[in-house]
Amino acid sequence: MRRQVPLILCFAFGIIMALTEFSPHPISQWLNEEIIDWALVIGPFALVLAVATLVQSHWTRIRRRSEYWQYSFLVFIGMAAMVLIGIPGGQRHEAFVWLFRYVQVPMDATMFSLLAFFIASAAYRAFRARTLEATLLLAAALIVMIGNAPVGDLIWNTIMPFQDNFPSTARQWILDNPNLSARRGIILGISLGVISQSIRIILGIERSYLGGVEGD
Amino acid sequence: MIEKLMNIDRRIIFILVALAVIIPSLLEVSFPITVSQPTRSTYDYIEALPPDSTIMIGFNYGPSSLAELHPMAKAVIYHCFQKKIRVIGMTLLAEAATLGDNMLKDVAAEAGAVYGQDYAYLGFRPGATQVLLGMGTAIDSVFEADYAGTSLTELPLMADITNYEQVDLVLDLASGSSTEWWITYTNTRYNQQIAAGVTGVIVSQMYPYLQTKQLIGLMPGLLGAAEYEKLIDRPAKGTEGMSIQSFAHLLVVGLVILGNIAFFIQRRQGE
Repeated sequence: MRRQVPLILCFAFGIIMALTEFSPHPISQWLNEEIIDWALVIGPFALVLAVATLVQSHWTRIRRRSEYWQYSFLVFIGMAAMVLIGIPGGQRHEAFVWLFRYVQVPMDATMFSLLAFFIASAAYRAFRARTLEATLLLAAALIVMIGNAPVGDLIWNTIMPFQDNFPSTARQWILDNPNLSARRGIILGISLGVISQSIRIILGIERSYLGGVEGD
Repeated sequence: MIEKLMNIDRRIIFILVALAVIIPSLLEVSFPITVSQPTRSTYDYIEALPPDSTIMIGFNYGPSSLAELHPMAKAVIYHCFQKKIRVIGMTLLAEAATLGDNMLKDVAAEAGAVYGQDYAYLGFRPGATQVLLGMGTAIDSVFEADYAGTSLTELPLMADITNYEQVDLVLDLASGSSTEWWITYTNTRYNQQIAAGVTGVIVSQMYPYLQTKQLIGLMPGLLGAAEYEKLIDRPAKGTEGMSIQSFAHLLVVGLVILGNIAFFIQRRQGE
């Protein structure tokens, strides 16, 4: 029963949503919209699950004294502070906004900013024209990078008397042509994969989303 | 010498990056900005909208991408308020709820826009796909109240807005996959016009949608913000950031070229 009920629900709703998507009949449209409303109600439960998983994983780290387990206490302190202020006071509470603006924003922005340093160091060490493919990639990256900064056009227009704004034009060409073609191929591949996987899930062939061991 | 160059201490590179960021921000250098076609298309579309049109802006980025996307948001919202275009803000990310609220309030204060008449902020609801689909039927079935808890029926702005049919453009400001969600669920199903402003790292993913016109315009990272600021003739953070971006990019390009010269010399010596 534990596996059959979810499989039946998945099959029924998968088929209903696929059929109602293509039918303009009022009953079909009503059913489609009704199920979307149900999904809106179910959605917030994912947040409960996410919080439970976060608490469980950090509690396990503390219990097992894993590496840097002390930092898990910071997760609990941060979460408790935001929840204790946010739930009774609301999202616009002064303290909640202050914590967001002066704690979360600077910390998050700092973490992301550090990437610039590591990217520069990694680019210097790893970006080598070892093969033809690597050389093409390198050339495209350099053109896009220089075309993405106004100084590229300025330098070109100063030292080259022809083809104004060549770096930004070349960057746009790379994005509009080779990049677009490659990306479209990737999108088509992903889409076909999603369709085939969806069919497998609806028909009950793919059951890993149920968890546990096959045949439970 | 070459060996030393190949194994340069990474702390030296870190110092160079820090200098490339700090020096231009102190010197306040500025460079001429060339406006790209995807940014111009976004501007042209908004510019052509008549007063009392409605734009929905999705603030789908967190604090980590704030430096790139906040200037873009500010420029577009200011442009809308100047043109008397109504703005509805919302987000699909919990962490962006406060960001969107603050941004709209700040720009409204500068432009003299009135809450409830010129703009409204709906905040966050979980379940991105369901939110996008649900708003296609009725916005108030997803957001029964705005971010402050005021019922949507009490906002004059929302009186004649039921669903996407009354929204002239959706602008998604994104640091993740949200633009693709808007395209999949809102453009394809409801034929909603969509434009996007995204971080530099994901801009290349958006080009297939530009070609198919599923995106009517695209603003690429901080450069997109600078381009939009140039179009509305109001230089701000995006334009300021271009000098820093220019020096940082020049440094990385220089480092890559230097690294490759050293690599080729070393390889020739090895042969």
